[in-house]
Formats: sequence, structure tokens, C-alpha cells
Amino acid sequence: MSKKKRTRKSSRRRHRRSERPTIRFTPYAWAKLLYLRDAGDTEIGGFAVTSPDDLLLVEDVCLVRQQCTAVTVEFDDASVADFYDEQVDAGRKPEQFGRIWLHTHPGASAEPSSTDEETFNRCFGSVEWAVMFILAKGGKSYARLRINVGPQSTQEMNVEVDYSQPFDASNAADWRREFKTNIRQFRWRKSTASPVEAACDGFDFDPVSNTHEQSLNRLDAGSDQSGDEDWYDYFSFNSEPLFLDWEEEKCNSLLSTIPG
Amino acid sequence: MRLLCINNDGAGFADYVDVTEGTTVRQFFEAHIVTPNPANYLIRVNRQPVAQDQILCDGDRISITPTKIEGATGADSMVRR
Repeated sequence: MSKKKRTRKSSRRRHRRSERPTIRFTPYAWAKLLYLRDAGDTEIGGFAVTSPDDLLLVEDVCLVRQQCTAVTVEFDDASVADFYDEQVDAGRKPEQFGRIWLHTHPGASAEPSSTDEETFNRCFGSVEWAVMFILAKGGKSYARLRINVGPQSTQEMNVEVDYSQPFDASNAADWRREFKTNIRQFRWRKSTASPVEAACDGFDFDPVSNTHEQSLNRLDAGSDQSGDEDWYDYFSFNSEPLFLDWEEEKCNSLLSTIPG
Repeated sequence: MRLLCINNDGAGFADYVDVTEGTTVRQFFEAHIVTPNPANYLIRVNRQPVAQDQILCDGDRISITPTKIEGATGADSMVRR
């Protein structure tokens, strides 16, 4: 490609980028998001709380209860409802806290997966507008605005940290408490390619891995574990089936006797 | 009668609405949601999950919130689907 063509193309790209809407984070919200992303070894997700005067200015990031693995995050439905109730009680409108869905990716890529797209479509497809924001561990971010009224449109967004906004100091103790209260980490093991193995293997969630414990200990040597009985009950009834190693081996050996 | 409705659908709403006596949860849901598929929402009255035929009472607080909000990396979603 000639230099002239390349220059024209990159100029067009710059122009397109400048036309994009921008989602801005206050330094406080951005710091909290980074802290929560790095507090464990899994994906995490939450909702952005925005300024009433600027719905694309994120002032806080709030977690809800969720089960997370290195590559998945799943919100607890009741906790989402509790979050809505709390925010309304705090005097906020749904457009301030229910429109920007945030989650992290553990690797370098912030590109949305098909699961992300499906959720964005199903859960945020009937609101006037919504934003899907993804922050990768490697530092890349992705934001997309979806407008569902009038001539419906979807548009990638620029992401900025707005240092012109007043901001509070770091509040690591509260952030850590929020993380420990809401995040339940499970080990995820990828299914194998063979259908027979996959039948036995599937997803294997191993509640609260050692790595997770180590992460939390690293964050806070002396603080209490959250003692929320309902939350643990939820997992005992709703978590994916857990195969112990000997069960898996037995299953494998039985299946290997089936011809074909 | 009047009840407080919390709903993110459409323009979003967290305010008091007037409904007629005898309105059930299902009737209220269908009247206030753009694409009323109950499977995609958790409907609670006074912070408790309810049956669709429950009759709403004056002063109730009804919330309609999305369910199954989940994310994944690309590699996982390929395995999962």
C-alpha cells in the first residue's frame, strides 16, 4: 500500500474515532474497576453508576453477587434485583445504574464473546439505550453503545478517564469488602474435544480454589470472610454438577467399553 | 390504588403508578414491559419473588429486573455453545 493511501486510511480512522461517543470514568471509578479486576483470578462483572447530569460519566462501579470462573461470570438474579432496590432507595433513576454493564476478561482481548453479545441483546435489548463495557486484564477496553429507540443503532465508544472530575481517594478496604461479599470464584476446566470425554467432563466447578484464597489473603490478611448463609445455600443448590476425579475416571472407563 | 414500580425497560422507571384494583402481577408485567417474556425477568413484590397470578395491593413495591446476566471470553463461549 502506498504511503498516500495509508495516510488517507489512518486519517479516516482517526476521523471515525473522533465521531464516536465517549464513555468517561472518574479516576475513582476507574481505580476501583482496576482494583476489582485484579483482586482475583477470574472475570468479574458489575454495573456502572453514573452522574445524573451525564449518563456516560461513570462515578462508581458496583458489584452484585456472582459466580465467576477464569473465563465466565454469571450474576445472581436476586442480587441484581437487590441492587436495583438499593439504588432506587438511594434516590437514583434506573438510567443511572442499570444501563452500563461492565465485566472483565482475564486475557489480553477485550472483544465481546458470543455469550456477551447474547446477554447484551437479551437483557439490554429492550431498554432505550445501554452500554456493554469490557476491560481486559491486559489493559485493553471495549465499549459499545446500543440505542434501541428510533432508528436503532449500535456504535463503538471511546473510553476515557476524566481527570478533570473531582475524585475521592482510594478506598481499598471497602472495595475489598465488596469483592469478598459478592464474588464467588470457581475453577473452570475447559471441555475436551472428544464427545465421549466431553460427556464426562463438561464443566467442572470447584468452589473457592486455593488460588482465590491466596488472592484474598494477599489482599487482606485479617479481615472476616463474608458469612452470608443464603449465598452459600444458593450455591449448594444451583452450582453445576461437580465430578470428583475418581468419578470421572470411572465414567471414562465405562464409556470406553461402548463400541464406536 | 398506587404502587411503586422499578423497571429498567424502555426509558426506565422508578416511580409510583396507579393501577386498578384486582390487577395481577402478570397483567401488570404485560402492561409495562416492551417485550414481555417472563423468562427474561425476575419479578418481585416487596422484594419477594411472586406467582404471576398474585393480586397487587395498594402500596406494593414491584420490581422487574433482568435475569441471567452472564459474560464469557470468546474461547469459553465456543466450548459452551
